Amino acid sequence: MKGRLLRWPYAAVALLAILALGWAAATAPVHLPAPEVDFAYAGPLELPPFGADHRGRPLLDYARQGAWVVALPAMVAGLLVMFMAVGGGLLACLGGGWARSAVQIASEVVGSLPRMVVILVVALLVPRDDRSLLPMAIAWALLAAPGAMDEAASVAERLGGTRFVEALRAHGFSASRIFGWHVVALNLRPVVVRQGAEVMMQVVFLEIALSYLSVVEDQPSFTHPDSMMSWADLLYQGYRSIVLDVPTTHVLALGLALISLVAVVSLSIGAAARAR
Amino acid sequence: MVRVLAALALPVLVPTIITLLIWSLPGDPASLICPAESCGSTEVLSARWNLDQGPQGFLSAWLGDAVQGDLGRSWRLQQGVQVNELIGDALPNTLILLALALIPLTIGTLRAALGPLPRGFGPVIQVLGLVPALVLALVAAAVVELRWGSASFGDAASWARLIAGALVLGLADGALSGAVGGTRALFEAEARQRYVGIALLRGEGVLGNTLPNVAPALAGQVRGRVLHLLSGAVIVEAILRIDGVGDLLWGGTLLQDFGVVLASATIFALISSALLLLQAMAEVLIALVVRRSPDLGEGAGA
Repeated sequence: MKGRLLRWPYAAVALLAILALGWAAATAPVHLPAPEVDFAYAGPLELPPFGADHRGRPLLDYARQGAWVVALPAMVAGLLVMFMAVGGGLLACLGGGWARSAVQIASEVVGSLPRMVVILVVALLVPRDDRSLLPMAIAWALLAAPGAMDEAASVAERLGGTRFVEALRAHGFSASRIFGWHVVALNLRPVVVRQGAEVMMQVVFLEIALSYLSVVEDQPSFTHPDSMMSWADLLYQGYRSIVLDVPTTHVLALGLALISLVAVVSLSIGAAARAR
Repeated sequence: MVRVLAALALPVLVPTIITLLIWSLPGDPASLICPAESCGSTEVLSARWNLDQGPQGFLSAWLGDAVQGDLGRSWRLQQGVQVNELIGDALPNTLILLALALIPLTIGTLRAALGPLPRGFGPVIQVLGLVPALVLALVAAAVVELRWGSASFGDAASWARLIAGALVLGLADGALSGAVGGTRALFEAEARQRYVGIALLRGEGVLGNTLPNVAPALAGQVRGRVLHLLSGAVIVEAILRIDGVGDLLWGGTLLQDFGVVLASATIFALISSALLLLQAMAEVLIALVVRRSPDLGEGAGA
């Protein structure tokens, strides 16, 4: 009971943040509004809630477009990893020793190259006219999945694996209750949800990194069309406030706040799903 | 066995995939080097760059040259320049960056293996580990640029970039916290085994008993950490403008320079293969050492 009460605040924080990001993504404009020079470099008090960029365009639209760029791919990647981790855990409960070996071999092979190298090779595949983060997010999830499956399988084995399932069968429980409730919901949940949340966060950070590197080189990003802005654009404009003394500190603050929000969401989801 | 096979396959597999990728893109591969609207017919270009015999011909020619130390020429990034020159300039920087980044990780691993960590150290490195490499790299880049100027690439500034980059790699994305936490978890789990309790009753130390058994897993963790650093090096080198293989790979990807991408990705594959082989060798050596132990003395069999 105490554990459940302790998890509520985390769940509330995660839910609120996800709703906020989801709203931002759903309401993102297709194009930024026309520049309004009068609002150039406006702070949050002059143009609420976040201020404006160097051309007077509201930073709220940057935040919303950035959320749109990452929302779907991050969710798909997180769900894919969760799905595969559940599969790994269930296989361990079904006594699939060969499957465990196969996962470990896949983990060795897939994990033998630096992830960013694989991601950049995948980026080369993205058609220039139809740029999206999704292929890279899926690739990232596939690279992370063997590790998640291995961890879920370890949890299932610590639980007793096939003996645990047989014991519950002897009690007369149905297969759906054993696997769906006792194995997945009660025991694999913490690991599976944490892995999914971590991968979602990593995909968001990956997008920001790839877009930032493209912006610095004045090249189109692999992850989104030119009409959309990434949160990396906020960091790029904000960074100039430090090295070039441009009045864009509020832009940097917003970029960092959004990154922190994503990290908080990931941690909160993991904490909320933690085992009693 | 799997590791050795993977190590042998990687340096061939990576160029093969990239070559197939070149031909999977729409249009003539030679048009990536020079678009048809600028160069007209691409037949001469295709013949000159070994692109006229299809993916198989291109790959076998490239691999044949690569074995002899010729990694080809840049397609777009620095068109016509030998990639060997670019890699020759970049590889030492990447290796230095990696070596420097391994210092905090090694210290953290040793500290975690040898005993409890100072109070408060764990939470601090965990919070630092949550910060993405991009953000820490930006902080490092700002520090270097404010101190030396953005255009400064003298000896002092270059070393500052390398050291700052190594610190970023060593701390960001959970590198240090992962190394410390992973090592601690390994040793703590092993120390709970019954044989360790018996060894303690015999007056032996914990580390001497646990180390041979955790060493293979530790070797795997170390390889994972180095791969993590290599992955992060792409971002850190590009942000801090360190002339490394990661920066080269990024530049090649951005401009679809398959000459550079092929060579730099293959260099990463070779490093990954070397790591796999080192891990396999470490495991074999540990197995040999463990088989020779324990030295039970003369009266052991009585």
